[in-house]
Amino acid sequence: MSENEMNFAINEFLKEVKDKLPEWLKDKKEHKEILAELEDHIWSKAEELSQSGQPTLETVGIAIKQMGTPESIAKEYKRRGTPKVYISEELWPYYKKVLSGVATLIILITVIVQIVNIIFGNLETIWDGIMGIQIGLLIAFAVITVVFVVLSMEGYFPEDFMSKKELEKRKKEPYRAVEKEKPLKPFIKPIGEIIGGSLGLIFGVFLIVQPLPFIFSLMDGLFLLYLQFAGIFMITEGVLDITRGLIGKRQPLAHQVVHAITIGVKLASISVVVLMMNRPEIFPILIAQGPSEALVNIGIAPGFYTLFRIIAGIIIAVVALSTLDNFYKIYKLESYKK
Amino acid sequence: MIAIIKRVKELGSNALIASREFRDYVEKQETEINRGISSLCILSTIIQSDKKELHGYKILKDLTEKTNEMLVIEEGTLYPMLRKLEHDKIISSRKEESGRKRKFYSMTGYGKQVFNHLAGFYSKLTEAVAPLFDVKVDLKQDKYFYCPMCANKIDLSNKDLKFCTICGFNIEQELIERGLRNE
Repeated sequence: MSENEMNFAINEFLKEVKDKLPEWLKDKKEHKEILAELEDHIWSKAEELSQSGQPTLETVGIAIKQMGTPESIAKEYKRRGTPKVYISEELWPYYKKVLSGVATLIILITVIVQIVNIIFGNLETIWDGIMGIQIGLLIAFAVITVVFVVLSMEGYFPEDFMSKKELEKRKKEPYRAVEKEKPLKPFIKPIGEIIGGSLGLIFGVFLIVQPLPFIFSLMDGLFLLYLQFAGIFMITEGVLDITRGLIGKRQPLAHQVVHAITIGVKLASISVVVLMMNRPEIFPILIAQGPSEALVNIGIAPGFYTLFRIIAGIIIAVVALSTLDNFYKIYKLESYKK
Repeated sequence: MIAIIKRVKELGSNALIASREFRDYVEKQETEINRGISSLCILSTIIQSDKKELHGYKILKDLTEKTNEMLVIEEGTLYPMLRKLEHDKIISSRKEESGRKRKFYSMTGYGKQVFNHLAGFYSKLTEAVAPLFDVKVDLKQDKYFYCPMCANKIDLSNKDLKFCTICGFNIEQELIERGLRNE
């Protein structure tokens, strides 16, 4: 009877420990070995505590108590990652990869859908598309972050997601001295960025100041306002390019931040094209007419409105797709941080 | 890891130990200090055992005895630590084929090299900080040589060793210069 009671007490304790152990241990069936080891420890301790050398219910009880609580045992198995914010250092690179991969996918799918919409003449959905990208990115960011925080708290490592075959292969890999890595190519041509940014800056100022009255005075006031908005975006992008040029071939993190801001500016600038796309009648077509060859604004003929909208849609798609280059550069700059 | 403060009984109501704030702070600090050296002490216990392999219960028992109960690792903490060391290829295990089928742990070749380096670093660090606490540390330099480059602990009885296995430093030349080995 006493032996049954001892077994019962130990099994109950081990059952509680098993419940508290992290899932990655249970997935690997490794928990069975862990529990067997803990059981052996309890028996050994109970034997030692007993004067006769035979474990008793009382000594088993003391041995179990000395093991610590099931929560504290499980906590030790979870404490294996190196903390970095709320996501462990081991999972951090994978978190960033998943985040950038999903962000790229969301943008790509939305842009493709929008291009299809434009081709079929469904222009009202453009703004919905931009909103969709923003909401999609926000939801993806929140969900992925929560998942990775939970995985970090549970002590998951990247190898917990590998197949048995991969793990075996990894285990057999002999210890090797770290090979010298090939030197990386410079990630930026500062002069090019400064020249490109300056041109954008000059053109942006030109659109805002609108210095040629003999041309600009012929245009619709609303159209000129849209041009000024476009100028603001051009100046911002130009300043960002010049900033990256001035930072030069160092501080990859600063470059990543500037690229991230550029993505925001590019996506925001789409709104100006959408506004223009919805008002084809204000778009000027200037031609020289009359005996004095003076410039006259004849505007777009209604028959060409659809073509105008398609061209605007293509511009939107190109701008949205150009953000992929910024995403790629953010990803690429990771390897320069080491 | 059990902090010593956890085992100290409150003997007087005016003693500092009666303060919850003091107890919590000291316990946290002691646990931090213990955490750093526990793995090293576990490895040392395995290396110093007669058969060069031990099961979990014996590791804990030997460790408690050898450190005069100053370093006490909780049962629930030991096994996760052993698992981690095994996962990091520092130790390996074998299961007893009969009886209780206990798991015995021994050092791997790679683990021994890691241990020697960490033991050397810890020894040199202890020696360096000893004057801060007005204590003296004997590194037994007649038995061991500590690599001047990486602090690797090298057993002087190994006459064949010419270069440090960790950093490749020419030990033989250094030992000859110091008069510890003949040309």
